[in-house]
Amino acid sequence: MMPKSKRQRQFFYIIPYGIWLVLFVIAPLVLLVFQSLTTPTGHFTLHNYAIYFASGTYLRMTFNSVWYAFLITVVTLIVSYPMAYLLNQLKQKQFWLLLIILPTWINLLLKTYAFIGLLSKSGTVNNFIGLWGVVPQQLLFSDWSFLLVAAYIEIPFMILPIFNSLAEINPRLEQASRDLGANRWQTLRRVIVPLSMPGVKAGIQAVFIPSLSLFMITRLIGGNRVITLGTAIEEHFLVTQNWQLGSTIGVVLIVAMVITMILTRDRARRSARKGR
Amino acid sequence: MSRVKWHAFLVTIYLLTKSEGWELTNTSTPIIEFKNVGLSYDDNEVLKNIDLSLEAGKFYTLLGPSGSGKTTILNLISGQLTATHGDILFEGNIINDVPVEKRNMNTVFQDYGLFPNMNVFDNVAFGPTIKRMSKTDINAKVTEMLDLVKLSDYADREINELSGGQRQRVAIARALANDPEVLLLDEPLSALDYKLRKDMQYELREIQQRLGITFVFVTHDQEEALAMSDWIFVMNDGVIQQNGSPEDIYDEPINHFVADFIGESNILDGIMKTDYLVHFTGKDFENVDAGMRPNERVEVVLRPEDLDLTTIENGKLVVTIDDQSFRGDYYEITALDDDGNEWQVQATNKAEIGERVGLTFDPEDIHIMRFNESEDDFDARLESYEDDADDAKE
Amino acid sequence: MMKKIKWGNLYLWLMFVVLYLPIIFLITYSFNAGKVMQGWSGFSLKHYGELFADTRILEIVVNTFLVALLSSLLSSVIGTAGALYIYNIKHALTKNVFLSLNNILLVSPDVIIGAAFLILFTVMGFSLGFTSVLLSHIAFSIPIVVLMVLPRLQEMNRSLVASAKDLGANNWQMLTRVILPVISPGIFAGFFMAFTYSLDDFAVTFFVTGNGFSTLSVEIYSRARQGVSLEINALSAMMFMVSLALVLIYYVISTRAAKSKKQGTRLVLPASEGL
Repeated sequence: MMPKSKRQRQFFYIIPYGIWLVLFVIAPLVLLVFQSLTTPTGHFTLHNYAIYFASGTYLRMTFNSVWYAFLITVVTLIVSYPMAYLLNQLKQKQFWLLLIILPTWINLLLKTYAFIGLLSKSGTVNNFIGLWGVVPQQLLFSDWSFLLVAAYIEIPFMILPIFNSLAEINPRLEQASRDLGANRWQTLRRVIVPLSMPGVKAGIQAVFIPSLSLFMITRLIGGNRVITLGTAIEEHFLVTQNWQLGSTIGVVLIVAMVITMILTRDRARRSARKGR
Repeated sequence: MSRVKWHAFLVTIYLLTKSEGWELTNTSTPIIEFKNVGLSYDDNEVLKNIDLSLEAGKFYTLLGPSGSGKTTILNLISGQLTATHGDILFEGNIINDVPVEKRNMNTVFQDYGLFPNMNVFDNVAFGPTIKRMSKTDINAKVTEMLDLVKLSDYADREINELSGGQRQRVAIARALANDPEVLLLDEPLSALDYKLRKDMQYELREIQQRLGITFVFVTHDQEEALAMSDWIFVMNDGVIQQNGSPEDIYDEPINHFVADFIGESNILDGIMKTDYLVHFTGKDFENVDAGMRPNERVEVVLRPEDLDLTTIENGKLVVTIDDQSFRGDYYEITALDDDGNEWQVQATNKAEIGERVGLTFDPEDIHIMRFNESEDDFDARLESYEDDADDAKE
Repeated sequence: MMKKIKWGNLYLWLMFVVLYLPIIFLITYSFNAGKVMQGWSGFSLKHYGELFADTRILEIVVNTFLVALLSSLLSSVIGTAGALYIYNIKHALTKNVFLSLNNILLVSPDVIIGAAFLILFTVMGFSLGFTSVLLSHIAFSIPIVVLMVLPRLQEMNRSLVASAKDLGANNWQMLTRVILPVISPGIFAGFFMAFTYSLDDFAVTFFVTGNGFSTLSVEIYSRARQGVSLEINALSAMMFMVSLALVLIYYVISTRAAKSKKQGTRLVLPASEGL
């Protein structure tokens, strides 16, 4: 039995937080599931799921979505890891890190918009390569331009956690590895990279999930060529007003996410137990 | 063999070892040599023109307070640091530009530097794996090393499951698994508690003797240095103050710093009136030092354990007991003489606080230090005493 | 070895150029005399003039900052209460349930949050506009604040609370005099992150904003689809300068604070703590 004062205190805390939990976490989730299981007139149905799983378009879209998010994550990781590693060796590293973070303070749409100017047919990049006599290319509205802009936006969010986990590694370990005969490369592969894995995992999470909903970049840069689940949800809710099917797609996405989360967390817990 | 012949044989061996030609150590190349090595950061001179030479198979200690440059020397040997000037030689070859990983030496770090992502086995196997040894060879090597440090049952443990002492042993095993010719130890025992430290001192010495490789041990603990080493370098302010066997350093400190840093000392100002006669606390005392200018100002060192309490009549000095504490095998006594000098005495007999007693010591317990005497001059002076003693015998 | 370091520096420089190229591009063209982000036709400040004459965009800027400020303030309060509640739960399973619920919004894609909130507001008969946007921003900021505050609470010395209780502090005194001062860096970091998240959010706002209300992200999106005028560049140039000034002030203050404490110059960035 809790003491009275503590019960009072907990009651005082749970009121605002509890209202938020019920109203903005549980209720939307329940409503989303409810929508996906009803017809526009409010009758129970599994029809939406049938449509989703029977249609090649939706499945392909799902695959596309995950595939692009995966590509964005991989590209970002490949670019960011060396960056985080090199930053960590600089003298004024906190200052340089700040310069990495600064672009995240610029509105995402503004940065996307800058790329429209850079990549368009008469834009700066085309003018630049035109100096070597290359005919202006349509750089916008391609898979590549979408990947480029998405990766550009996500890079700081990948660098940050990796940088932090690298900064936490005791510099002594690098010394010890060199001392035991490992060269720079072997030290990186056998000591530094394994120890920075928590940061890499955090970075992958921080990039992969938002990459699923970059529908504005898809629209502005990908020119509707790249259709992802984010685009599909936006379209069903705001354009065709088919909320039921939109919710179905959302529920599928959530379930997929929960499964990944459980899988990764289980592994983390097991290694933690092993570590103790 | 008759007893006479046996005796003659021993005498021959003795004479041979004494003769010039027998001293192989003089002619063989030192394993590590520093020639006028210095290191500066910006304008800050961390090491000043160090010369030193280490023979293979010995236990060396770099002893000094923090910031004295002892760890810097260790890092220069291992290659973690590069000297600003001078040459570092390994078995006669200059290794200034040889990277850390190519030097056949390994280090036991103060905080061990064990890889937390690997278990005990993998930590020890790190060096052999990098060398691309075969699986069976690696297994054999790791088993051998874990046996050596008495951790055979711990191969599968994670690093964070180990105690400080066990981590220490893993670090030693890991460093030795590479079969280094020199093992560098950077204050490896400082994080252990007193009892464990004592045990590890003994064990390290034993491992060194069993393997017969060179150990370079860095510590700020003079007791540890005296107990373990064949040879000690006392460092301060980036300079080697004195080097010698533990006995030399303890018995004949070259200057105030060494006398103060090694063991407890009573250090007083004095005057060498003539050879074998020193004046301090207003009295003349017979001693065994010579070779100084008449009436040269010197510092006089008397170790607390060389002092004894006696009756006022028998005492060379008269002191008043100021404080006393029991230390198990002796009493640590603080006493004041009539000039107000404070005396540390380790006495076997108990005294009363406030009691006036006599203080006595032998002429050979008075150690004389000249001001600003270089190490070479100091050695020359010590040698001349030995010659004098030989002359006196003949 | 020297060569390797040089290659590394080259890579760093290249990456910094890539990171800042679009931003510099935006700012440069804000001074273009021409009408589009292509072809330089001379220096001019006319787009800044247009910007200050455009009351709609100025109103939207004010709205955006108002939403960001209010949502981060309110979410800091609610999030701190939530963190305190979760911290006080003794039962491990209950604690885990609350933590999982807390993190749902953090790991959900923005489109789903937006869509779910849209359903919620519609079902509740709530009209879309300023309030719905504000509520949504508060809602998605709360879990961030909780995650920023909880570690501070866990680091807090338990005996601190015990001794305060021992000295006769009541609940309110304990909270305001003991706990809040200790966890204030976490609350501050949470507030800061909530503020930036709110400023940067597009997807959620896009779903729950009605016709009458717009934030900067949404406005830029709708304008960008028709082809934007360079006054947006002028706006982004000014916003960048403000961010830059804020970051520099923050850097100077924190390095000075670190120096005066004689600690290492480790600068704890709110944004980097969250990720």
